[in-house]
Amino acid sequence: MSGQAAAPAPQRGGAGSDRRAELVLGAVSVCLLAFIGLMTVTVFVEGWPSFAHNGYYKWFLPGGDVDTQLRKILDGPTSPAHYYYHLRAWPLLWGTLLTTFFAVVFALIFAIFASIFIAELAPRSVRRVLEPVVRLLASVPSVVYGLIGILALAPLIEKAFISQERKHSVQYVVQITGENLTLGIIILMVMILPIMVSLIMSALSTVPRSWIEGSEALGANRWRTIRRVSLHAVRPAIVAATVLATARALGEAIMLSLVAGSRAFPVNPLDGFTALFEPVQPLAATIVENVEGLSTVPFGHTLYAMAAVLLVSCALLSFAGWAVKQPLKRYGIGV
Amino acid sequence: MRRTRNAAIALAAVLTLAAPASAIAAKALLIDGSTSIFPLMTQLASAYHKSTHKPEPKVSQGTSDAGVNDVDHGRVDIGDVSRNPIFGTDPKGLVWTKIARDGVCMITNDKNPIQNLSQEEVKAIFTGEVREWSEVPGAGITGSIDLVDRISSSGTQDAFQNIFLGLTTKISQSAEAEKSNGLVQNKVRNDEDAIGFVSFHFTQGVHAIGYQGVACTLQNAKSGQYQGVRNFWMVTKGAPKGESAQFIDWITDAKNATAYKIISSSWIPLYPAP
Amino acid sequence: MSTTAILDQDLGGGPSAPPADAPRPARRDSVRAWPLPDQIAYWLCWAAGIAMCLIALGTVLFMLLKGISYLKLSLLVTSPKASGFNQATSGGFLDPIEGTLLLTAIGTVVAAPIGIAVASWLTEYGRPSWLARAVDSAVEMVAGAPSVVLALFGLLVFSRPALAFLSQTSAGGSVFARSFINAGLIMSLIALPLIVGSTREALSQVPRHVREASYALGKTKATTIWRVLLPASRPGIASGITLGMGRIIGDTAIVVFLLGSTLRIEPASGAPVLSLLRGTGSTLTSYVYENSPAGEGDAPQKAYVAAFVLLMLVLAINALAMRLGRGKGEAVRWTR
Repeated sequence: MSGQAAAPAPQRGGAGSDRRAELVLGAVSVCLLAFIGLMTVTVFVEGWPSFAHNGYYKWFLPGGDVDTQLRKILDGPTSPAHYYYHLRAWPLLWGTLLTTFFAVVFALIFAIFASIFIAELAPRSVRRVLEPVVRLLASVPSVVYGLIGILALAPLIEKAFISQERKHSVQYVVQITGENLTLGIIILMVMILPIMVSLIMSALSTVPRSWIEGSEALGANRWRTIRRVSLHAVRPAIVAATVLATARALGEAIMLSLVAGSRAFPVNPLDGFTALFEPVQPLAATIVENVEGLSTVPFGHTLYAMAAVLLVSCALLSFAGWAVKQPLKRYGIGV
Repeated sequence: MRRTRNAAIALAAVLTLAAPASAIAAKALLIDGSTSIFPLMTQLASAYHKSTHKPEPKVSQGTSDAGVNDVDHGRVDIGDVSRNPIFGTDPKGLVWTKIARDGVCMITNDKNPIQNLSQEEVKAIFTGEVREWSEVPGAGITGSIDLVDRISSSGTQDAFQNIFLGLTTKISQSAEAEKSNGLVQNKVRNDEDAIGFVSFHFTQGVHAIGYQGVACTLQNAKSGQYQGVRNFWMVTKGAPKGESAQFIDWITDAKNATAYKIISSSWIPLYPAP
Repeated sequence: MSTTAILDQDLGGGPSAPPADAPRPARRDSVRAWPLPDQIAYWLCWAAGIAMCLIALGTVLFMLLKGISYLKLSLLVTSPKASGFNQATSGGFLDPIEGTLLLTAIGTVVAAPIGIAVASWLTEYGRPSWLARAVDSAVEMVAGAPSVVLALFGLLVFSRPALAFLSQTSAGGSVFARSFINAGLIMSLIALPLIVGSTREALSQVPRHVREASYALGKTKATTIWRVLLPASRPGIASGITLGMGRIIGDTAIVVFLLGSTLRIEPASGAPVLSLLRGTGSTLTSYVYENSPAGEGDAPQKAYVAAFVLLMLVLAINALAMRLGRGKGEAVRWTR
């Protein structure tokens, strides 16, 4: 042992090496920030004309059928003075909101129970099997989930829930089939589940043993201990998992374009139960369905505008996550 | 330390394993474009290499529009495009060479084997005028019609609209837009009430409808009786020169039996058998 | 009184005190003795765990059963051949497998050091705080960007003549912009948020007294991070890296746009390894996509077999990564 006094400023190598390390790490982070910033700026610059020509805030409002509007933009005049940009993207935003919100809520509940099971309640052998299973689920390509959706689940939903009466009730507005909002939510939930389970599971396994022992010594049963002590202790991890999973859900494109109905329709809650089976097309799915039209200038601008909206929502999401974590700092639970 | 070394060795092993022994020197043609033409183009490239011993052209796939874009910017030598040129939208200065034709069939579920549809009936169904199968003569089921469309940038959709519906009529807005032939085929296979249109090859497991009294088969399309066909093009910037010209000439040579055999397996050649 | 006797005392109205007329004297911590809501929650946890297993099993089996008519071992070692729509003669998927491995390697090798560095900076230093928050938001923004957007951006950036050395140049003189290294670089972007998130969680779980002990021994902050904190967080970091690898393996959009989707791996002419990095190819995901109903290849059974092989590959890579990341065996438990 070096026997040096425990001065607040470490001595080995001097403050210089510490400084250097901080600068190097900081530089890497700043470079990353600059790169991502560059990407964001590019996307915004490319998408700006679409917002500008639509009166800025009106881009986000409802007003007509999005599919028709997109087709008109794609087939529109090709001289720069006459580019056609009209778009009212509310159905897309509403679709994104619905799928993401419900998928995340259901996935959160499912994930909490599943990670408690894996981290606390499962026997050793089962846990050793389940951890690779979680990672396997995280690596399944979205195409595979999409295929399972359209090949196996969509016909099931159609047979079980979509009768001729239901089809007739909305016939003049929209066609409803097995590919709809419900299927999109279910499969999206399955997709983001492993991310949440993985993060919450690792966090649960680092709750100090003494806390758990103390709680059980006071007479709480296993479940009460888990609920009141462990879950509370890992709240920051739950928040982090939710943010990451929501971001992933927002960005999921290929799978949703296959299973959620590929028709930009604003789901009408007034239709009651039938509303669950209406087709929906979130923003990312719209981008991927229409990417082939990218070389048409006004259409390309429209797609970049949608991408810009997605990027902004992720930034807001991350900020919200930070804001939620602030009160948790009081407990000093590794935030 | 040992772990890092093991990891590095593993990485190096992957890299060397993945480096095929071939590929040196001579520059090969770069081709990009439509996914519909990809199966045809890869076979043609492979056969070209076998018969002329020139380096095999490298065929990638993106989309028809990506092919046009790439050729225009000089990123590739030849672009594959499965739709007709759109004057005004497509970049100027490109030369389009037709190499084959491809047929488009209308399909329904096997439970609904309609034998034939006339142009008026097709228009009525696909524009949404008629919404019940009970109003369609020859339908095998009752129920509401589920229209299956393609997305707006699809070449097949353009072909269908221009040929079957006429230049000004558009497919109904309430139709569900699928991204590819395979998805349309899958949808129609699973949904009794569905009707859609696909490229020739995708008619297995579903029922192909005759149009204007002619059944939708490869022979009828080759003989010219079946009218629903669209063109496949190879696009170059300016007139084809050098290697590109040699490849395109090889494909479009009327006396080339190999190329004819490949094209006529699933598509429609432009000239009779040599 | 012995300790067990003290613990066995009924503390009066405790939630786990069994009723006097219980059919069987349950052990003090047996689930049967719990109040009903707790029991329901317990069984729900079990149900959730089993459901996850069933989902994974169902996914793998579905792909296997759908493609079983074409399942042959030779598929793994044959290169794909051009033969139109004929599934029987179109060869195997050796090249897509190699493509997947290569791309995953590139993406992980680029993302892991950067991710760990950024996470370390965010947890240990993080000054000024507005900068730290900006970096945090930026990383999460990338997590939510659809991979299509990243792919388009990649295409835009790599088409610049300055970056032409990263891919092939065609006869016309313009940059092709599609190659393994380009796809790998953009892939690292999508793995990054997962690695950063997991590393941050792992680092923040290490108790403060460990750092203080290290400083007390005279180590600098940098040394502490490198020699104490990171090794202690190794399981968490490994978990993050495997999550990132999983994301890379499963991504389709970036591959379709930035890898050229040629049938076989086509190296650009030049030096042995560099030409491969600059060359084009395909991966299992793009193979599955192109041949499934979602693409135009119409070889669905082959696509399903490829999907099955992909899932097996994922299991293998995960096992390898966990072995490399395990360190001393189990997660370190800090005594306190």
